[in-house]
Amino acid sequence: MAGQRERASEQGGIEPLLSGYRPPPGTFDEMVDREGRVRAHWQPLLAMLARLGPNELSRRFAAADRHLRDSGVFYRVYEDASGAERPWPLSHMPLLIDGAEWQALKAGLVQRAELLEAVLADAYGPANLVREGRLPAVVIAGNPEFLRPLVGVAPAGGAHLRFYAVDVGRSPGGHWWVLGDRTQAPSGAGYALENRLALSRVMPEVYRGLKVERLAPFFQAFQAELSALNRQDDSRVCVLTPGPMNETYFEHAYLARYLGFLLVEGEDLTVREDGVFIRTVSGLKRAEVLVRRLDADFADPLELNARSRLGVPGLVQAVRDGTVVIANALGSGVAEARALLSFLPALAPTVLRSDLTLPNVATWWLGQTRARDEIIDRLDEMVIASAFLGELPGHGERREVLGAMLEPEERTRILEQIAHRGIDFVAKEAVTLSTTPVWHNGRLEPRPFTLRLFLARTSDGWRVMPGGFVRVADDIDARAVSLQRGGSTGDAWVLSDKPVAETTLLPAPDRISITRGTGPLPSRAAANLFWVARYVERAEATLRLVRALVSRVSDSDEATTRVVVQICSLLRAWDAVPNDLPHVRPVLVASATLQGSDLEGALPYLVGAAQSAASVIRDRFSPDAWRALTDLFELINAPIDHPPTESMIFERTNGALRIIASFSGLAQENMSQLAGWRFLELGRRIERAIATCRFVREFAFAKLDGALDVLLELADSQITYRLRYVMVPAAAPVIDLVVLDPNNPRSLAYQLSRIEAHLAALPQRSGDGRLSPPEQIATALAAQIRTANATALDKPAFLALEEALMKLADLIASTYFTTHERAEVRWEALG
Amino acid sequence: MIYDIRQTTTYHYASSVAYARHVLRLTPIDRLGQRVHAAALDIEPAPIERREGHDFFGNRMTWIELDQPHDTLSVRVAARVAIKRDVAPEATPPWEVIREAAFASTDLSPNSPAHYLFPSRQVSLDPEIRAYAADSFSAGRPVLDAAVDLMRRIKADFVYEIGATTASTTPPMSFALRRGVCQDFAHIMISGMRGLGLPAAYVSGYLRTAQSAGEEQLEGAGAMHAWVLVGCGEDVGWRGLDPTNGIFAGDDHVVLAIGRDYADVAPIDGVIFASGGQRLEVSVSVTPAE
Repeated sequence: MAGQRERASEQGGIEPLLSGYRPPPGTFDEMVDREGRVRAHWQPLLAMLARLGPNELSRRFAAADRHLRDSGVFYRVYEDASGAERPWPLSHMPLLIDGAEWQALKAGLVQRAELLEAVLADAYGPANLVREGRLPAVVIAGNPEFLRPLVGVAPAGGAHLRFYAVDVGRSPGGHWWVLGDRTQAPSGAGYALENRLALSRVMPEVYRGLKVERLAPFFQAFQAELSALNRQDDSRVCVLTPGPMNETYFEHAYLARYLGFLLVEGEDLTVREDGVFIRTVSGLKRAEVLVRRLDADFADPLELNARSRLGVPGLVQAVRDGTVVIANALGSGVAEARALLSFLPALAPTVLRSDLTLPNVATWWLGQTRARDEIIDRLDEMVIASAFLGELPGHGERREVLGAMLEPEERTRILEQIAHRGIDFVAKEAVTLSTTPVWHNGRLEPRPFTLRLFLARTSDGWRVMPGGFVRVADDIDARAVSLQRGGSTGDAWVLSDKPVAETTLLPAPDRISITRGTGPLPSRAAANLFWVARYVERAEATLRLVRALVSRVSDSDEATTRVVVQICSLLRAWDAVPNDLPHVRPVLVASATLQGSDLEGALPYLVGAAQSAASVIRDRFSPDAWRALTDLFELINAPIDHPPTESMIFERTNGALRIIASFSGLAQENMSQLAGWRFLELGRRIERAIATCRFVREFAFAKLDGALDVLLELADSQITYRLRYVMVPAAAPVIDLVVLDPNNPRSLAYQLSRIEAHLAALPQRSGDGRLSPPEQIATALAAQIRTANATALDKPAFLALEEALMKLADLIASTYFTTHERAEVRWEALG
Repeated sequence: MIYDIRQTTTYHYASSVAYARHVLRLTPIDRLGQRVHAAALDIEPAPIERREGHDFFGNRMTWIELDQPHDTLSVRVAARVAIKRDVAPEATPPWEVIREAAFASTDLSPNSPAHYLFPSRQVSLDPEIRAYAADSFSAGRPVLDAAVDLMRRIKADFVYEIGATTASTTPPMSFALRRGVCQDFAHIMISGMRGLGLPAAYVSGYLRTAQSAGEEQLEGAGAMHAWVLVGCGEDVGWRGLDPTNGIFAGDDHVVLAIGRDYADVAPIDGVIFASGGQRLEVSVSVTPAE
């Protein structure tokens, strides 16, 4: 009796949440049954949400959005010409999957993974399925992902598929159907992790209370499996990415970080006679396992797409030699073909000796005369799509068309296409997807969705990620759901009837540095870290000049005016303002420096360059450091009112300097002090040393009232000076403080001693124990400054120092970075 | 007929190349109607690594790696090849029969029509080219008969002009220009046939060089040449048609490599690490052996 009353009151409590929740007739809804009753496995969640109340829920969901934004989760939109990143659209309601139902789904997925592995092994091997007439040769040979150089090559490690994703949807009858297979380089698992993190953080009590299966053990198993494939102890598992222009680059960087793998681009790898190697600052380091997020066709310009600039020349050869395991194997994209869906159900009994327990959406390949004739009569019930992947041939960017929606003209054209080349098309039964609740305007509403599920190969067989990546349509009627075209994403919670193990989702920060150790630093990453730091430091020096300038414009005495002219000349020499801008309006010079986007010395350029160098090594920055760079970029690029006033410029400059200070602090405090951090430091120290020399040249010898004040201000050393000397600035003590004092963190002496220490800690390239060329210069400069006397250093001496520092920067680049560009050899001589 | 083939290919680089990897498809092999008596490939500077093998289509491939700085790369081919082909017109099945048989093929070997039906890297399928080709393929016409007609129309309708196109010109571009060289005409013919669902392959090779001023010089001699293989069904097999000259590929044609289009048979592919440009020099001679 008591139990009944409790249920009744809970049901009563959730009613407001359910008011107005009306799934469209004829569809299956995940949360409520046909009569509108809440399904049993949803009741505890709804009860908990009802207890929190709509206001608290909205507050928490907003916090989840904030978390995602602060983590820098984004999705690049291809159609946007500017390559803009868009905020991550999170649907805050998880999709709940009942434990018993999950077990059945899991078994069907594993069976399918085994079937596809067998199909791949056959297609690249004996081709028995084709010869026996079970699979038309054209379904394999016509697939752009059938990579002929890989035919006859058994993949090292024994498997084509190691990470596999399946898109499923639920039919009106309540059965799960496979909508498509992802075998090339499936995306979404990293996003699923982020969604999980965001939701579980804002609803910890709900998450714990529901006994939701954890995701971490799945990733640990995947990580362990790949690490075990390394045959040599010093090898690193690499995530091979096409780079930051790819739509899912965020995920590549995120997964590399999460799994403790090294994120590399094709340029970072080189193939030698005995295998694949990473170009690192310590020379070539072996790579034996690659998690491939680069489409296979682009993976080797020598034997695959010769136009590819993203791949690794010779990678196919390394695969043929069996020296590298690639997950998934080159060529495994063949299994994604839609045409395969029409043959898999019939292949299963032959290949697996059992029927598929998880059906796929009914599909007909139109290369067969009988299927073609049948479909043409039933075109209205069908969706027509490409037989392989991608767009429908001859229909622009459309991926599929609904037979019933075709205009008469289109209908004639598609029928003619099918008559000529039916091999290019499949017909699929049009499916109505089930709906799941989303939180919209403070209440629950049903929306159609698809669910992507992930499987990883382990030594104990296939393992299924207990959860998934949900894509929810914006529109209640949408039949196709794609993130590229709007919609939102959600998390899937698999409910356990047993207590779930409390595994932390993210490794503790100190665990990351242990797994990384002194792991190899790719030369390209080192170069980018070096340049991020140099650009940020250059931006800081320029901002300090701007601040020094605007704080003086209101004084009209002659000496100040001359100092102002001096600052303006330096900004012009640094290419921060156009040459023809008159000195007479210092405010204009200051605002041009802040906003002159096409000048290489102006802030938009410097900050943009820093951000773009950082974007290709995003995995190496903490989310906070990345956020700081993004904030800086946004602040510098925000429009300023016209005409700009001194106070507006002052405010903007100070704001930018504060963000830079926090970026530098984060890099100092949050980065493991390994080789990567040292290159960031080297860039910063060298740039600061160069700027200091330049400031000294401009302002220490100017014999102008107030010039030394400017120098102290630029070197951020006024306070120390005033503490030490109770007098107006004089040249020798100022030079001593700004240049020679090893305890002043902005002095030249300090920069040089840091540079010396960083260079000494870097891996030695020669191995003969002698100082490296950069070390020779750094040591000589440091010794010179350590033994110098403030009164003895003149202007030419600082020019010489500045030139030596620039040479040092070049030497670091030629010693540790790759300096050659890559080009393809072309042929132009045909009759 | 027995030929001596000499080809020298030299790349001159504007700046020194620190490291390079190449694949070469420059060695002829035995094929139907063609026997290779001798073939040698000489590479300068000497590669640190050199491997020999075959690609999927059976073409001979040489992989090389160069790790010493070099300003030029020179590849010399010397081969003696005997050719004997029957090129008379012959009876073939109607093209629609060939198409349905190709769609239903149970063969995934390199010889299967299944590989040569689809768009490939350099041959897109284009409705205008298909419509042009369709004029030769009237209902029930034997496939070879129709293909020969298409070949002759291309020879008649297009202007042979070196420099009008480049190695990366697409079939729709050269089709619109109505001009080009051997590669363009081969690609157009392949695109048209595939558009109709018929198997067509790309051949790279050589043409006999005219021996005297009086002898008619074929277009494309003195350089590398390209033509088309038309799939005529299991019984007849593949037949070579040269749309540049409007003739069957017979005893004047030496096959070097076969693929889906030019990209499959490019004589030299490679990646070099250097910062400057490059200039290519090629000389070819194909002379009857004494």
